[in-house]
Amino acid sequence: MRIKTVLYLALAFLFFMGNVSCMKDIDFDQAGEITMQPEIQTDLLIFEVDQKDFVDPVTNSSKQIIRDTVRLEFLDDSYIQDDLEQVEFSFKYRNAFSQGFFNKISFLSENNALQHQVSFYIGGGSSGNPAVTEKIELIGPDRIQVIKRSIKMVVEIEVLPNNEPFSGKLNFESKGLFSFQF
Amino acid sequence: MRLFFTLAVFVIVSHSQGQNKQLLYNVNGLPQTLLLNPGANIDFDGHVGLPFFSGIHFAVGSSGVTAYDVFEDSPNINQRITNTMRRLTHKDYFTLHQQLEIFSLGWKWGRDKYISTGIYQEADAFSYFPKDPAILAREGNKDYIGVPFDFSHVSFTGEVLTVYHIGLNRKMDDRITVGARLKLYSGIFNVESVNNTGTFLTINTPDGPNYYRHFANDVDIRVNTSGFASLRDNNTTVQEATKDLIGRAFFGGNVGVGVDMGGTYKVRDNIVISGSVLDLGLMWQRDDVENYTYKGSYQTDGLEPLFPELGPDGKAIPYWDIFEDDVDRNLVDETLQESYVTWRPFKMNAAVEFIFGETFIPCDYRVETNRKHHSKLGVHLFGIKRPQDVKFALTTYYDRKFNSNLRMKVSYTLDDYSFSNVGLLLSTRLKSFNFYLAADNLIGYFNLAKSNYQSVQLGFQFIINKK
Repeated sequence: MRIKTVLYLALAFLFFMGNVSCMKDIDFDQAGEITMQPEIQTDLLIFEVDQKDFVDPVTNSSKQIIRDTVRLEFLDDSYIQDDLEQVEFSFKYRNAFSQGFFNKISFLSENNALQHQVSFYIGGGSSGNPAVTEKIELIGPDRIQVIKRSIKMVVEIEVLPNNEPFSGKLNFESKGLFSFQF
Repeated sequence: MRLFFTLAVFVIVSHSQGQNKQLLYNVNGLPQTLLLNPGANIDFDGHVGLPFFSGIHFAVGSSGVTAYDVFEDSPNINQRITNTMRRLTHKDYFTLHQQLEIFSLGWKWGRDKYISTGIYQEADAFSYFPKDPAILAREGNKDYIGVPFDFSHVSFTGEVLTVYHIGLNRKMDDRITVGARLKLYSGIFNVESVNNTGTFLTINTPDGPNYYRHFANDVDIRVNTSGFASLRDNNTTVQEATKDLIGRAFFGGNVGVGVDMGGTYKVRDNIVISGSVLDLGLMWQRDDVENYTYKGSYQTDGLEPLFPELGPDGKAIPYWDIFEDDVDRNLVDETLQESYVTWRPFKMNAAVEFIFGETFIPCDYRVETNRKHHSKLGVHLFGIKRPQDVKFALTTYYDRKFNSNLRMKVSYTLDDYSFSNVGLLLSTRLKSFNFYLAADNLIGYFNLAKSNYQSVQLGFQFIINKK
């Protein structure tokens, strides 16, 4: 009789653990909907140019247009190619020249094919009161391929002459807000 | 995929003092109690475990999240994940613990000593929730400008090993029993990343030179591994890998040594105190070792083109390469083969018991029994050292021996997060064959999805009583 009781108790315990245990009110199929959507704020390029940068170091003659190219190698990485949803670029100039400038920021592919371009005028300022010009460019999911195909960023600045002496500083700031969906 | 979710659920559903075996502590009819206190009072003369089945223990836990928190049957799972991650702190943790007795044997030596020996395999994984890196990965830094992401939140350990042990239990007199156990550890895998430092910070810089400034400050992250590097060798066949793993279980890899110590003191006839420290030991990780380190400090405002476009050599200036080289010089990423020492997660137990319920002994001169009482009411404190702190659990229990064949123990455990952990031990004996089953947090079985803690222990063995 006692052995039977023991067996019944053991079986009841096992039954409880094996049959009562369950998972309720949950849906594991939702796992397929899990995404990560980080938004990364990152600096891009900065520079400061003055009147000397508009002089050709070889010929010593003045130049109206200067440009420089920076490869953004990370644009080629898999997390950009596979998961970048949109990017919002911000460009800001502080201009202490009295002259205005015309600015072109171009995104080029490896073989220098133009993928995207942002251009805008930079107003003239003064040394004590630099003019601030800011441009925000949103490239949404419908156009994001232009960034995925790019690898170079070219900044081109053209002086818009006036009668004032050409002297001052032009500061450039830029950042990107990269939105991903993994 | 189903397997993945099953494992994920097990990791998520429970809570954490995964090595707390309060249901087996001070159960003087079970040999397993000697693994929790080598100086425990025991009431048997020998034992032989059924190989591979004498002690099976599995426990998983998560201190702050359940499967229901994430997979609740309603829309917006991603919002729930975000909310859960924000609610968790870097002190929350996940554990996984498994133990399997391969061989277990014990016998009485002389009038007052008991030798117990055996081999068991153990796996233990512990990780604090790496809150800041997880938030950075999931949400990015956009909403955290000026808020540092702390890499010290990355703190985890994991090990798989075989333990060879022999212990001596000695009854000094009617009141005092002491014991000790020597353990030799044979490592199979080990991974640890503790004492990491460093922050990643983005701040606004309204005065320039750019919108933000990014900092990686005092970064010092190290992941030590042993037993993994050789398995990554693509030329290794499954047979070779299996042979290697079996070899490591028999001292073919990394080794260590440790001790357990404990004692029991009968304060009065009906009050007993006991305590033990377990796994005071270390392992020397020297074989098949690989360490990954990332160290340094760096700050940047962005890439700075110099105008003109071409350098003095007439070639385009490789700004990105210069930037990468600068980062690599200041944030050094290395893979090393350096030996390291790991401490086992030592455990402590302490308990006080009130004994009552005198057993009615048949008036028969042919029958003897050592047990004078059938019931025990006790309080048990358990602690385990983890990388950043000691985790505690406090248990009260009622232990009753109904007859020579049946014993039950009911426990109620309080710890950091659970106030409803009721456990049950059932130990039965049919002649000398013993079977025990213990389960924690019984209420959790009604819906595992909402449970923070489950653990199961069971075993089969022969227990010999000469009297």
